Formats: sequence, structure tokens, C-alpha cells
Amino acid sequence: MKLTILSGLLILGAVQSVNAASIYAGEAKAAAVCSQCHGIRMPSADAPFPPLAGRDADYLKTALKQYRDKTRKSDIMNAIAGSLSDDDISNVAMYYAKLKP
Amino acid sequence: MNAQKKRLSKSILTGLAAIILPFGVQASSDSPKNMHQLYEDNCASCHGSDHGGFIAPGLNADSLKGRSPTALRSLIMTGSFDTLMPPFYGRLSDDEIRGLVKHLQTTPKQANPTWTIDDIKASIKVYVKDESTLPAKPTYQINSMDDVIGVAARGKYGRGSGSKAVFINSVTHKQIGEIPTGTAAHIIDYNPANPRWAYVKTDTAEIFKVDLYSMQAVRSVKTGFNGPGLGVSRDGKYIMAGSYVPHNAVILDADTLEPLKTFELEGVDPDGKMVSSDSGMIIGTPFADIFAIALENAGQVWVVDLKEGFPVTKIEKVGRHLHDAFLSHGGSKLMVASYDDSIVTAIDLKDRKIIKKLEAGCVPHVGGGSVVEVDGRTLGFGTNFGDCDKMVVSVWDLDKMEVVKQVPVSGGTESPAAHANAPYVAVDIISKDRRARTIQLIDKKSLEVVKTLDVGGHAYFPEYSADGKFLYVSAGYSGDEVVVYDSTSLEKVASVAMESPAGIFSHGRVRYMTRGLSPDEMKGAK
Ligand code: HEC
Ligand code: HEC
Repeated sequence: MKLTILSGLLILGAVQSVNAASIYAGEAKAAAVCSQCHGIRMPSADAPFPPLAGRDADYLKTALKQYRDKTRKSDIMNAIAGSLSDDDISNVAMYYAKLKP
Repeated sequence: MNAQKKRLSKSILTGLAAIILPFGVQASSDSPKNMHQLYEDNCASCHGSDHGGFIAPGLNADSLKGRSPTALRSLIMTGSFDTLMPPFYGRLSDDEIRGLVKHLQTTPKQANPTWTIDDIKASIKVYVKDESTLPAKPTYQINSMDDVIGVAARGKYGRGSGSKAVFINSVTHKQIGEIPTGTAAHIIDYNPANPRWAYVKTDTAEIFKVDLYSMQAVRSVKTGFNGPGLGVSRDGKYIMAGSYVPHNAVILDADTLEPLKTFELEGVDPDGKMVSSDSGMIIGTPFADIFAIALENAGQVWVVDLKEGFPVTKIEKVGRHLHDAFLSHGGSKLMVASYDDSIVTAIDLKDRKIIKKLEAGCVPHVGGGSVVEVDGRTLGFGTNFGDCDKMVVSVWDLDKMEVVKQVPVSGGTESPAAHANAPYVAVDIISKDRRARTIQLIDKKSLEVVKTLDVGGHAYFPEYSADGKFLYVSAGYSGDEVVVYDSTSLEKVASVAMESPAGIFSHGRVRYMTRGLSPDEMKGAK
């Protein structure tokens, strides 16, 4: 466990606000929930869902928070973001932002 | 982890149900006929044209009895997390989904529809009229056609623009072509007599004849409604296809795809009952001019001679619910997996008799199997779903026909890969939690798991490149890429993006028959 945390830190480099283990938590959340619609690297070409991989982390965070407090309306995303904590949001945003589409 | 994820998905689902579907059910104005069409166009390729289930559960009045329409609607809208069930949000309107749920909950499983030899004939489509205009050699740089590796990309929805057969050069790991298949590609087979032809079968039982030199489909034919069975004869003149819906099989001219003879799949099962049967594996063998076909429910294997009239020899009581199989000993021995009695039955194709029934873990799914020669022994490897807590990969001595070892692995498995030049037999762990992201590697000599690779997605269908230097794995649904490893160092060397990749099929298979054998052994067989 120590080791993974260390290598996680190395990957994250200077990013200060991010907890080292978070990228793994973000990955787990993305694999279990978000990828169902958004895919990991890309959504289906036939799907109506926006891509998330490689997007700006702050944009993703803001969007998720807006979905959570319903200032941005989408039945599905309001429901999904409604169950996310602040940590969940920054973890998953971090994870997607780091991925190459 | 599993429990946590399940709870997570469940709570999201209920949350969605509450928020998305707050209003009372509005009666749908759509007629049952339209709903039937909607089902055929969106659901049948996975759930079965007869509503009886295929690669996904049956959806009919019986199977959905008592289920809450609201829960079903939200499931259809969001899909089922961590499975192939896609989200139909944005693809179908709320009214359509409501109508579908009502339709499914009131429609009984349908009778086996007919699809006759005339229907098959009429379904042939010709994309390239004059095949003599096709290029004489590959239009791309490749040293040997053996280096072609084909991936059945399902596409998220099991149909649409993501559904295609993708071909990759397994030396450079670059895509060399893709063939759109309309619905999910399932099986890719190659012509042993002419390296330019490949055959791609879809979940909806269409077969595309593909020219690998120019990377295009030249013809297609619809052999039924659902069913993966496909084999090519050793002389490359015939292909045979089998269906779940309807219960039949057909021999086609491999050149024109014209149907030559159909077979009604029915027979007396091991309990003495006459049953109509799904088609399981179909296999051509370098050993003789024959096809072998497994009748899943009848528990029989039929051997069809490729001569005038295509006569059939029936081998009965092979097992309860047969599925897939693999060849060994120059193609003269056939190892057939049987789900319900958890055995693999060895059949001698020369005498057309059962040799022996071997223990095979729990619900064996051998997925093409693997055979390796180690220290003078011929060892067969068989995966199994492991639904009953017995999580092992079976290893058999195929000369003596006995169990050598049941190798403990971390979960259920679906498909083993091996290569004469690679040190490990790779198996895909399919148990529905984080383990599904992994592949385990069994050392050929020690017969123990020596390494677990985290591939991501739902990792399945490992396959070695023809030279054995690389291991390809589909990071299936939600992973959306094929990942390539160096087969000795197990370092990741490349990845190729595509939608819901599933089965991977090396062109090298036509030379080594079963994965793990060397081409030299095949020469000996002829
Ligand atoms: C059941 C399908 C579904 C799931 C699961 C899902 N989303 Fe979404 N997501 C959508 C839809 C639909 C939209 C478009 C909503 C809109 O119109 O604003 C969307 C939009 C978004 C956006 C806004 C993108 C943009 O370009 O503005 C973000 C960010 C997002 N989702 C993140 C997530 C994350 C993170 C998860 C996992 C925790 C997730 N989504 C799970 C369906 C889904
Ligand atoms: C790409 C394949 C695929 C397609 C296309 C598909 N499904 Fe599914 N579906 C599945 C799988 C796999 C499951 C099983 C999920 C699980 O185990 O949780 C499933 C489960 C379901 C279930 C739950 C069944 C049960 O007994 O719990 C319903 C209802 C359902 N699908 C409806 C539909 C409808 C309606 C459509 C068409 C609009 C459709 N599906 C299209 C693969 C598919």
C-alpha cells in the first residue's frame, strides 16, 4: 500500500490539493458508474453522452457541482451527482482529466 | 469491493428511478406491432429474437412476471452497470421505453420462427460483383497474413457504427482495416486454403465474407436470427453456421455463400426426451473433410461428411447442455464442453465415438481451448464459468485422457490463450467485480498462476499474436480498448481503441489449429 501511494504521488507530481490515493478512487468510481454512459476514453459513437477523458479538471468539477445543486439541469446527471461527495467529485474529475481520449 | 459497488449502483438506480420517473404511467399509444419492431431493432440481438434470451436473459411475460415496471424502465434507461446492458437514455424516448416494458411483460416467449433455405438464399447480398477485380496482394504493408489479428468489436448497443470487425497488424499493433457489421460482430474465422478470406459472424447470424487484402466485405448472408456457431472446412470450400433461433444449421458454399443444405437440430437428449436444440460449436478440422457440430440441448455431436448429400453420423449422450469445443492430435480428437454436468467429453473423430468424459471444474466454457506440448506431454487447458465456487482451470493429459491438475485461479474464466513460443497460458477472470478487470497467467511448466495483470474494463478473450511475442486482451465493455502486452515481460506495449471489443482471433490459428500448438505439428497431421 505504501508503495502505491508513493508512486501515486510521483504521478501526481506537484498537484497539491489532491490526495494521493484519490486517482485510484476516481478510477474505481469511473469504472463502476460513469463509464456506463461516458465510456472511459470515449463514449459510444452512437450515444448521446458527452466525452469526459482529457477534459479540463476544473470544468468537470464545476459541472458536477452544478448538477449536484441542480443549477445545471439534467434528470440523469442531477440524480447521479446527487450522491457524490466533494471528494468523489474531485477524484473522478482528476481521473478523467488525466486520461488521454 | 463487490458489495460496495453493487450498493453504489443500486442506490444510483433507485435514485434515478425516483427522479426520472416521478409521474404515473401514461398508457402508451404505440401498437404492439411497433413495439415488436422496436424490440427487434434494439434488443433482440442480445435478448433473443424469440424473447427467450441469447447472450442476455430472456425478456418475456414469464421471466419478467411481477417485476416493477418502474424499476424495469429505469434499468433500460441507465443500463445495467458492469454488464453489456447499455443505457437507452437518449436513444429511445420515455414513451418508447414505457411501451417496451408493457410489451415485454405481456409477450410470451415466441415459438421458434422459421428461416428456410429459401430465406437464406434470398438474403445474400453482393458488395463486390467481380472478385477478379480485387487486388492480388494486400494493399497494406504486412510480412505475413498470419500476422493479422481480428477483433470482434460489439459496439456499445450491440449494433450501429461501433459494431465492426477490426483487423490489426500484430507486429506493429496498428489497425489495418475495419468492416462495419451493422450488429455486434461475434466470431471471426479464416479460410485455411486461401489467406485472403475471412468470415465474420454477427449476433444476428449474418455472415460476411471479407477480403482481407482490400479490407472490405464482398458478400453477406443471413443464416438465422441469433447464434454464434461458425466453422470452415479444411479445404476452404464450405462453411457451416448454426443458430439458436431458429434451431437449425446450414452448410454454405464458402465462395458464393449459397446455402447447400440445412439441418433441423433435434434429437434424443441424455434423459431420453426428444428435444429441439440450439446449435453449439461448429468446427472444421485439418484431420478430415468433415464438420462437427454440438447440439446444445440434445447433448449430441453430429459429424457431417462433406460429400454428396452431406450425410450425418450422430454421437449421442455426449453431455447435458453442450457448448464449445477444441481439437487436438492433428484434429482427430475433439474435446467438447458440457455445462450442466461440468465435464469435457473427448471424442475420437476417426471412430466417431466417445473416448472418455473428464472432470472440468464448474460449468466449463472452453472458449476455443488451448493445447500445449510440455516435457513430452500434450496438455489441454479448459476454462469454466465457476458459478459454483469451484474456481479452477482444468489441465488434462490428452494422450492418456486424464486430469493432470485443477489449477486454482481467482474467479470464473471464459477463454484460455496459449502459444508454442510463449511461457504462459493466459485466462480471463470474469467474476463480476474488480477481478473482471484481470487476466491470470499460468506457467506452462509449473502449472501455477504466476502473475495477475490488471487490464481495466471487463478484460476478456486473451489471444497471442501468430509469432507468440504479444498477448492481446480486450478491455471489453466500459474499457473500450484492446491492450497489448509483451508475452514474456508482460509489459504493456500498446493499446488500440474501439467500442466494446470482445473476441480476438489470430489468423495464425489456421496454422496451429488450436492455440498453443506449433505449426509443425499441423504439418505432421496432413
Ligand atoms: C446513465 C447515464 C450516465 C451516467 C451513469 C453518468 N452520466 Fe454524466 N452525463 C449523462 C448525460 C445524459 C449528460 C448530458 C447532460 C446534460 O445535458 O447536461 C451527462 C453530462 C455529464 C457532464 C457534463 C459534460 C459537459 O460536457 O458539460 C459531466 C462532467 C458528467 N456527466 C460526469 C459524470 C460522472 C463523473 C459520472 C460518474 C460518477 C457520470 N457522469 C455518470 C449521463 C450519464
Ligand atoms: C448489447 C447487448 C444488449 C442489448 C442490445 C440490450 N440488452 Fe438488456 N441486458 C443485457 C444484459 C447482458 C443484461 C443482464 C444484465 C445483468 O446481468 O445485470 C440485460 C438485462 C436487461 C433487463 C433486466 C432483465 C432481468 O431479468 O433482470 C431488461 C429489462 C433489459 N435488459 C431490457 C432491454 C431492452 C428493453 C433492450 C432494448 C431496448 C435491451 N435490453 C437491449 C444486454 C443487452
